[in-house]
Amino acid sequence: MTWKYEDLVLLAVEKGSSLGAQYVEARYHKHSRSSLAARNGEIIGAESSVSEGVAVRVIAGGALGFASTNVLTREGVQDAVQKAVRKAQAHSKLMKNPVEYSHERLGRATYEVNELVPFENTSVEEKVSYIKDLWKQVSSSISTARVATLTTWIGESVEEKVIANSDGAFIRSRIPRLSLGYNIVVTLPSKGTIQRFFSHAGSGGYELLKKWNVIGYLPEDTRKFEQIILEAKSPPTDKPVDVVVGSEIVGLMVHESSGHPSEADRILGREAAQAGKSFIKPNMIGERIGSEYATVIDDPTIPGSNGFYLYDDEGVPARPRYLYKEGKINEFLHNRWTAKVFGVSSNAAARAMNYESEPIIRMANTYFKPGDHTFEELVEGVKFGVYIKSYMEWNIDDERWSQRYGGLEAYLIENGELRHLVKNPVLELTTKTFYSSVDAADKNLEFYAGTCGKGEPMQGVPVWFGGPNVRIRNVLLRVIA
Amino acid sequence: MKEQLLEIGKKVVEKALSMGFDEAAVDVRSTDSLMVKFANSEPSVIQNWGSTEIGVYVTKNQRILGTSAPVSSLDDAYKILSNLYTMHTQLPQSMLYAPLPEPKKPDPLPGLVDKHLIDAINEPSNVSEAIVEAVNRYKIDSFAGMFQATHERRALVNSKGAELFEEGTFMKMYIRAFAGEGSGQWSLGSRKLKIKEVEHVAETAADFAFRSRVQEEVPPGRYNILLSPMVAGNFFNYIADMALAHSVLMGSSIFMNSKPGDKVAAEKLTIEDTPRNAELPGSTSFDDEGIPTYDKPIIEKGVLKTLLHNTKTAAKFGSQTTGNAGLIFPRLWSLTVHRGDYKFEELLSEMKNGLIVTNNWYTRLQNYVEGIFSTITRDAIFIVKNGEIVGAAKKMRIADSFPRLLQNIIALGDTQYDMYWWEVDTPTRTPYILVKDLGTSKHTA
Repeated sequence: MTWKYEDLVLLAVEKGSSLGAQYVEARYHKHSRSSLAARNGEIIGAESSVSEGVAVRVIAGGALGFASTNVLTREGVQDAVQKAVRKAQAHSKLMKNPVEYSHERLGRATYEVNELVPFENTSVEEKVSYIKDLWKQVSSSISTARVATLTTWIGESVEEKVIANSDGAFIRSRIPRLSLGYNIVVTLPSKGTIQRFFSHAGSGGYELLKKWNVIGYLPEDTRKFEQIILEAKSPPTDKPVDVVVGSEIVGLMVHESSGHPSEADRILGREAAQAGKSFIKPNMIGERIGSEYATVIDDPTIPGSNGFYLYDDEGVPARPRYLYKEGKINEFLHNRWTAKVFGVSSNAAARAMNYESEPIIRMANTYFKPGDHTFEELVEGVKFGVYIKSYMEWNIDDERWSQRYGGLEAYLIENGELRHLVKNPVLELTTKTFYSSVDAADKNLEFYAGTCGKGEPMQGVPVWFGGPNVRIRNVLLRVIA
Repeated sequence: MKEQLLEIGKKVVEKALSMGFDEAAVDVRSTDSLMVKFANSEPSVIQNWGSTEIGVYVTKNQRILGTSAPVSSLDDAYKILSNLYTMHTQLPQSMLYAPLPEPKKPDPLPGLVDKHLIDAINEPSNVSEAIVEAVNRYKIDSFAGMFQATHERRALVNSKGAELFEEGTFMKMYIRAFAGEGSGQWSLGSRKLKIKEVEHVAETAADFAFRSRVQEEVPPGRYNILLSPMVAGNFFNYIADMALAHSVLMGSSIFMNSKPGDKVAAEKLTIEDTPRNAELPGSTSFDDEGIPTYDKPIIEKGVLKTLLHNTKTAAKFGSQTTGNAGLIFPRLWSLTVHRGDYKFEELLSEMKNGLIVTNNWYTRLQNYVEGIFSTITRDAIFIVKNGEIVGAAKKMRIADSFPRLLQNIIALGDTQYDMYWWEVDTPTRTPYILVKDLGTSKHTA
């Protein structure tokens, strides 16, 4: 492929340096997106858009300055550099701790993800037909309750970047991504409603649609939602029970309660007024947070993943990060600023959503390390408990300590066997209780797609989170009444 | 700038029609914005943005298509439009199609531009210094937050003959202060920069932090809870969003099984969409279909008055547009919750025993149709006994349903505050709101 605007990126770095900035970084960042949206098999509309521009970040007078422009001319970019430098310098008198970056071996590289089935090889008619077929199969899958709405959207995007900085990094990348999401409402007015939002996403092309097989599983899921409305009973909430936590929830839990609190910028308070601080303090490396089965890894280099990258937006080469290792806090997510503060090397966690965003510390693909059990063995080991397979409501406090997950599909376990469905069980526990209560994980490793939000202005970046099914012992459940 | 943006709009509309589209609407937006972000009581980054972008809505034989692109890439935008035109034959007609309405002349909305905010974009350090000074008047450990100033110019041109322009400035800010175990946060959204108001945000945050520096555990259960404007703003963002007609269509609304005229809240509650309030960011004189905006109650004295429509959703629902059009779906402009007649102390007397929750985040729903939600508090929670504040509580969740919360409103304060931050995405003017018997929850271990 041809790479556009390299000259403007290099010009920005040169201009910033000539204005006296101690550090200059420039990034041409483009997103090309297309999407198709439908309700109950009927198309609403199609959209196709482009967002592109140049982002400039500087350290000047010890303050960090950022500016972006979508005027892609020499004048436009030079003007942005001037703004970034001038306003950073104007704030230098308020800086108590001047910003500095760690020394790193930075990349000079080009990489691309190739779609096996390119976007342009899949016609609009095929996509429309897929959406109509999905509605037909889902809406006809139940007869007592009904599917009130099935909203569906398919999104394609291509992200292209050219990054350079005054420390010598030069990275070019192209990553295509596909996503498919839906919102289904199943209702029986006399008994209630079940709702499920879900989305698939990954890097690659239309080959992913076949892999996700939504047409294959959603009719079956819909029958299950009907069954929940008709048959589900209250979960046990009067005494602590064992819980098999489904991989979908485990994935979200590690994202929320291992990934986020391990972000070194949060630990240092940089996001204190937005996403909050962290229960992890700077001196807690090596402290126990869970049982020996609790290992959480964040790895940007997983092929096909939604959070895939090989170099971060500061030019640092990516690698897997072991956030919790065998129950101990092991490593934080760093960019070059936090690496300098902590006296370590950056582990390439700096990501920016688009050209209007500063790179900040983000997760990529976070997962709980699988164990050696089968799913059946996990359940067999429970005398009385609950298996919670999926969720809808969730939240966690701003230090990532108290977390809550409202179960959607869940079953009672008695004497090692799955019994009847239970409705709205709630897992509400602290981070330490969760990781400390794990006594086994199965061998399965499933990933789920998400858009992780952080920063100001809010930046949503594509991630995966996942894990195996895990068993936790002796936890008191709540229920949504 | 006005002529330049209108010219771009006209050019793109003409181009789209010449390609063969039946209708076209183009929104051209030029934005200059600056944000100073604070952490650990010092600036953490100073961010600047400048962009000019177009959003395009086109139809052909009742197919709806759209694009957006930077103005510097108009050729790219034309290429996309050309591809969309080729693509339209493969699309079925849109279930949401309705013709663009005939344009009407909106009454201009004066007072949208403040020179002080334009100056702050160019030279923000005075505002930054005022914030640092104000927050440090209190005994706090540290503070974080942000101040943002934006200058926006917007032109709308469509194939029905609309040629409209509006210019405005707005500011958004919030400060979070920390003291001991405590923290406090407050926010402000405004079309004008007034240093006194900026300082008030910083002082309120610091005051809450200081007064919550020692905290005690409160057991979960049902409480009378006084929702601060931060929390009320967050909840009413969700509830008003559910009154957008497409939320009802898409299965994301507690109003799926309601119709205008139904009683959905306590009689004391009136909430309006207020695009004509020039003091609030989000105010505008025309929507994206070129229809003049007007203030309208969503819920009036507890009764659902209307869903919010553009012409497309209005046609689907057999209703009229409410002047809330975005290019495809309807949208909120700014919200106003009517004030009540209770002074702050009277709200506490009415509550007798309960909690004041000053801030929350991470509101998530188990089910949008039934409105079952939970949210987790952050920052100061004050414990009220016999109508007096007697201490501060540790974090907890509010876990209940929006329909029940709406019915259980028993009093509203007599002073409104203009909230605008991460968790109050649509600028909202609201007083303190007292709700009885609201469910709370905490982790079990």
